[in-house]
Amino acid sequence: MKRGLFHSLLGLCAAACMFCSSASGQPQAHAWETPRTPNRKPDFSGFWSQPRHTEPRGGGATTFTKERMPPFVSGGEELFYKPRTGDPFLDEPRAFCMPSGWPSAFFGPYPVQIVQTDEWLVMVTEFERATRLIPLDGRAHREGIEPTYYGDSVGHWEGDTLVIDSRNFKRWTLDDYYYVNPDEYRMHSDAFRTIERLRRVDESTLSYEFTVEDPKIFTEPWTEELHMTFHPEWEETGLYEFVCQENNRCPGGDCSAR
Amino acid sequence: MQRALLSAAAGWLLCAALAHAHHSFAAVFDAAQPVAVTGTIVRVEWANPHIWFYVEVAEPDGAVTEWGFSAAPPGVLMRRGITKDVLEIGSVVNVEGFRARDGSNNASGGRVTFSDGRNVFTASAEDATSGSGNR
Repeated sequence: MKRGLFHSLLGLCAAACMFCSSASGQPQAHAWETPRTPNRKPDFSGFWSQPRHTEPRGGGATTFTKERMPPFVSGGEELFYKPRTGDPFLDEPRAFCMPSGWPSAFFGPYPVQIVQTDEWLVMVTEFERATRLIPLDGRAHREGIEPTYYGDSVGHWEGDTLVIDSRNFKRWTLDDYYYVNPDEYRMHSDAFRTIERLRRVDESTLSYEFTVEDPKIFTEPWTEELHMTFHPEWEETGLYEFVCQENNRCPGGDCSAR
Repeated sequence: MQRALLSAAAGWLLCAALAHAHHSFAAVFDAAQPVAVTGTIVRVEWANPHIWFYVEVAEPDGAVTEWGFSAAPPGVLMRRGITKDVLEIGSVVNVEGFRARDGSNNASGGRVTFSDGRNVFTASAEDATSGSGNR
C-alpha cells in the first residue's frame, strides 16, 4: 500500500515536471504571438509567479546576487548591512507585520496578479496584499512626498517592453537574504531606485530585467536577469487574502505575545 | 476525493513545492529541537500570516497538554489542495515539527499524519527541512 502510494506520488511528480519543462520557454510547435490589448500594447494581464532567477536557487524568496553587485562607495557597506541590535522589532520589523516594501514583498513565493489598462498597470502580490499602482500615461514622478515603503513608480513603453522607474523610498530592507545568512541583513538607502523592464518572450514567460541604483551604497547600478512565469490555473481562485495582523503569534520569538 | 487531495498535497511535498513563512523560522523555532506528538485536534485558527492548530496530548500521568502548531498561510495551503476541512476537529494526528525557542508548548507544524496513515505537509518546505525558513 505504501509502495503503491509512493509510486503514485512519483508519477504525480513526473507529470508535474513534464508540465514544467513544456512551459519552460522551449520553442512551441504552434506559432505564439504576444497577446495585445485593444490599443495594441502587449497584454501582461493575469497571474504570474514572483520574479525568479533563470537558474533555480531553491525555494523561498528571490534574493539578489552578491557577485553581481558593484563595489561599495565609501560608507556604503555600513549602510548595506544592518547590524543586529538584539531587539527583534528593530532587527526584523516585518515579523511584527510591518510592510515588506519594494521589491522584497513581490519577490516572495506568492502569486502576483497584473491588471492592465491603457493608463495603469496594477501589480498585486498575495503576500500582504501589497499593491503597486503604476501610471502609464506619461506623467512625471510625484514631487514633495515623503519617502515610502513602496516608492513612487511611473511606466512607459519602449516598443513591446514596459519600463517602470521607481524611486522615493524610505531606507528599508532590500531583500530576504537575511534568511539565508542571518549575518547579512541587507538594506537599501533612501537613494534607492529601480528600473524594471518587462517583456513577454513566449507563452508562459515574462522577461523581467531588474536594475538597482543606490548611489549612497554602490558605485554603479547593477542588473539582475529575472523572469516571471504565467499561471493561468491561478485565475480560478484568484489571490487569497493576507491580513498579517490577524493572527501573528510568536512575533519576534515570543509565543506569550498576541 | 479527500484521499486524492491528500495525495496531491503530499506530492507537492515530494516535488519540493515552495512555501513561504511570514517571519523568520529561525527566530521563533529551533531546528535543533524536533518534536513529534500524537493527540487530538481541538482547534484550528485558519488565518494569516500562519494557520495555527492545536492538539491535546494525553500525558502518561493522565494530564492533558495542549500543543500549538504554526503552519503555512491559508492561501499557500489551499493552493496545495489543503483546506481547513482537512484538519478536522477531533481527528487523532501525529504532528512533527520544531519547538519554539521560548520553551513553550508551541512548534512549527510540518507533517501531520492521520490515524489511517494519510499525511499532509502543512508547513513551509524550507522550514521543516533546513530550519532556515523565510519570513
